[in-house]
Amino acid sequence: MEAFITQLLNGLVTSMLLFIVAAGLSLIFGLMDVINLAHGAFYLLGGYVALTVMEQSGEFWRALIYAPLIVALLGLIIEVVFLRRLYGRHRHLEQVLLMFGVALIVTDFIRATWGAFVESVPNPELLSGHVTIFNVQYPVYRLSLIGFGLMLAFLLWLFIERTRLGAIVRAGVSDAQMVGGLGIDVQRVFAAMFAFGTALAALAGVVGAPIFSLYPGLDSEVLILALVVVVIGGLGTLKGAFYGSLVIGLADTFGKAALPEFSRFLLFAVMAAVLLIRPTGLFGQKGG
Amino acid sequence: MTVKTKARLTRRQFLKAAGLTAGATAASPLLSACGPAAPAGPVKIGVLLPYSAVYAELGNSIEKGMRMYLEEKNSEAGGRKIELITEDEGATPDEATPKAKKLVEQDEVDLVTGIVSSGVLGALRDYFDQNKKLLICSNAGANQLSRQAKTPYIWRTSFTNWQPNWPVGPWAAENVGKRVFVSVPDYAAGHNMRDAFLNSFQAAGGEAVGLQLTPFPNIGDPAPYITEIANAEADFLYCFYSGGQAVTFLKAYGDFGLAGQLPLLSAGFMVEEDVLPAHGDYALGVRSGLHWALYLDNPENKTFSPTYQAKYDRTPDVFAVQGYDTGRVIVEMLNQTQGDTNVDKMIDVLGGISFASPRGPFTLDTATQNPKHHIYLRDVQTVDGAPHNVVLADLGEVVDPGDDSKG
Amino acid sequence: MATLKARLSTAPVWLIRHQRWALIAALAFACIYPYVVRLYFVTLAEDVLIFAIFAMSLDLLLGYTGLTSFGHAAFFGAGAYLLAYLTTRFGVTNLVITVPLVLLGTAMLAMLIGFFTLRTRGIYFLMVTLAFAQMLFSIAINWSAVTGGSDGLPGVPRPSIGIGPLSFTFDSRESFYYLILVCFLLTYWLLRRIVNSPLGWAFRGIRENEARMRALGYNTFRFKLASFAIGGAFAGLAGLLQAHSARIASPENLYWTMSGQVMIMVIVGGASTLSGPVLGAATVRLLRNFISSATPRWETLMGAIFILFVLFARRGIVGVLSDARKRFEAERPATAARPAEISESPQAEAE
Repeated sequence: MEAFITQLLNGLVTSMLLFIVAAGLSLIFGLMDVINLAHGAFYLLGGYVALTVMEQSGEFWRALIYAPLIVALLGLIIEVVFLRRLYGRHRHLEQVLLMFGVALIVTDFIRATWGAFVESVPNPELLSGHVTIFNVQYPVYRLSLIGFGLMLAFLLWLFIERTRLGAIVRAGVSDAQMVGGLGIDVQRVFAAMFAFGTALAALAGVVGAPIFSLYPGLDSEVLILALVVVVIGGLGTLKGAFYGSLVIGLADTFGKAALPEFSRFLLFAVMAAVLLIRPTGLFGQKGG
Repeated sequence: MTVKTKARLTRRQFLKAAGLTAGATAASPLLSACGPAAPAGPVKIGVLLPYSAVYAELGNSIEKGMRMYLEEKNSEAGGRKIELITEDEGATPDEATPKAKKLVEQDEVDLVTGIVSSGVLGALRDYFDQNKKLLICSNAGANQLSRQAKTPYIWRTSFTNWQPNWPVGPWAAENVGKRVFVSVPDYAAGHNMRDAFLNSFQAAGGEAVGLQLTPFPNIGDPAPYITEIANAEADFLYCFYSGGQAVTFLKAYGDFGLAGQLPLLSAGFMVEEDVLPAHGDYALGVRSGLHWALYLDNPENKTFSPTYQAKYDRTPDVFAVQGYDTGRVIVEMLNQTQGDTNVDKMIDVLGGISFASPRGPFTLDTATQNPKHHIYLRDVQTVDGAPHNVVLADLGEVVDPGDDSKG
Repeated sequence: MATLKARLSTAPVWLIRHQRWALIAALAFACIYPYVVRLYFVTLAEDVLIFAIFAMSLDLLLGYTGLTSFGHAAFFGAGAYLLAYLTTRFGVTNLVITVPLVLLGTAMLAMLIGFFTLRTRGIYFLMVTLAFAQMLFSIAINWSAVTGGSDGLPGVPRPSIGIGPLSFTFDSRESFYYLILVCFLLTYWLLRRIVNSPLGWAFRGIRENEARMRALGYNTFRFKLASFAIGGAFAGLAGLLQAHSARIASPENLYWTMSGQVMIMVIVGGASTLSGPVLGAATVRLLRNFISSATPRWETLMGAIFILFVLFARRGIVGVLSDARKRFEAERPATAARPAEISESPQAEAE
């Protein structure tokens, strides 16, 4: 029983982390029809920037705030300078290719700046050690990550469902042209959301670093897993990203414990199946 | 009506093309390579080590160790100067193979050294064998290169994956416990390490209560595996991880509170000096077997370590020692052939080269083309304010059996 | 006869002739190549030719049929693994046996994957092809008993060819090079026949407007499947040659970044042409080789070049050259209106 509870908690940790990444990816796709292949690179960049901030100032909290901001700025620049040139109904694939090129450059930049060796990131002082809950010993940091993820999910839901900007985003996901027709500067919304999505990726990188560490190649793994989540859960919806992350996070964790060799294969098989049967995902909104 | 002006091959065109071809062929002796360097020139040694990607730090250490020895000997051996040509091995055979070919075919080196990754070594084995080029491997420990895949052209100054694990089995059975949980990554090196340990551990009366094969190369979040370990009824954990995996694994081990409760024994690479800074205090108390330790007490190491530290402003590690020994083996070999880089002459003198190394007594075993050296049982303790490896016991000289009989 | 002469004497006929000469000279050079340059450059040429085959095969899908597949590495890797398995586990090195088996195997794999993936379009198609390729990758990494896991399948020998008592092994550097050259030329020629055939024009029609093709009565799904299978088979051939060349089949051949790399080759070289992918393959592989010796930052350079092409030179090197040539032609003193029907080689055909 203890083992089950522990694995459940482990799964939730993975889920929450995936959710933060997938939320950004899903929103960007929903709004702009662009699969951001550089999303994993932004995750990793966020982690490394946080590492540097922590080394300089010794504060995890500062890293938590600065790293996503810095990376979001980069995302904004990329959107305005490059991505924007490729707008048009038939140019989505080119945007995807562009982001692939960006991913190459960002990951190489990371290697050039921080080296290729693995970097370990310490737990923040306040959240180190372990506690005993439900009769199991569990690290404090991971528990707080679960809490953080849930809180973030709630905040994002509030934003999307209850604010004007959120309404614009929802409308944009459904039909961006109409939103433009209503007199709203769609370009600005796109830019802002792209930067926001990027910030989410970087935020995930920061909070995930004490668990996964940082190394070149991590960006690929994160991206692939996030893609699976977003496809299964639903492209363009927060709900989809949330439930998709839950499913994938738990499946990955229990899969590792039960049948380690097949778990990855199964994930992709499910992803492929969903794409074929319901391309917009379980909770997806856009027309296929 | 469409007029097709697909120009056909006229006689003029053909003659011109033929003329070009003939001209090019006639000019070819001018274009092709100059002949090999005159025998009195420098000995060219190709160094294939990772300088980018995940193993870069190991490559760095090995090269520094090698250069340190060569500089002690004025970069000279057998009456000739030694010239190093370095290329980046990368992390995969895909990256390394073109570089190896460049060293051998374009730079026309007399021999090649380096190779950190066992995967790369396995992929290049046939190349060196068929091109009859000497490779002195300074790291990759794949067992089969000293066993069924042995070739006269590949020698090692490092280790086989079997060596650091096998003597630890009986020691653990006697000093730690009789029930072990084994966790290794699912690839050749991981399997090698596990088999070597279990072979002697079980022979000494121990039993394995759990076996775990984790995804390679990326373990992801180790938590599910740590949970499995925590819920098993073992006296201790034996594992092998390297690089990034080692760091995440050990950290999760500590975070879940297992560090104080379940002793951890490992193959030495997991807590070697190169990776200890990243581990920090998470590595304290981890015991391991390896063919060297920072605080190993012998005259050579007492000179080597501080000199290396002063020269490069970094802590030496086992890889630096391997590089250092490689330099020595190359120099001794060339001294014995008196500078002759004919591959058969070089191979002839390699077996039996023996000297006192920072790792203790070192002999190149003729049968396995791999070192005979001692394995030490080490413990990570705080020395001079930081975690380092000290020696608890000398487990004696260990020689690879040359076949799979002992795991 | 007089009108033909008159037409031959007009405008850029000399350009056409030049092109022919250049090609013939290049071919002649390619034939004597291994005897003329150092061994190392032969290795480079082999690498470029193998990836040229791989890139051309993707271009059949991407450039001619409009299928943006991000999982083409699946067939490249499958070809490599199939070949490695045949040689190391069964000891078969005879190309007469291995080539048909590998081509058949990868074509069937392509049809299987295509059967599922070709129901989707655009971004979804891109993602689902990526997913299937990753499935193959995770099989290769995890099923170590069969695929050798992360170490791959090493020990692949050089190929041989033979029927009955006659046999020849390609173990000399020159012969192996010629084998690859011949495969490359055959692939180029075959693909050229295909894209200029009614089948090829059907592909192009699907790329331009699939709905209209369906309205015209074409079963577009079958045609797309055919394109997928042919492209997959040629990618498998490239994988077979790669396994023989590198003497190993590794999981990296299946990873999504390999799909990305070959896509870069096609885009940078010029999609919808056959010479484009060849140029792209040469550019990427040679750049990788020479730049990486000078600086470790070759991936940044590669990414930057790729981005520049995506933004400003969508039709690749071939597009840039063809634009330059058109401008050159336009600036030449007018040598009478040349009949619009003089057909140039299909290479100049742009998106």
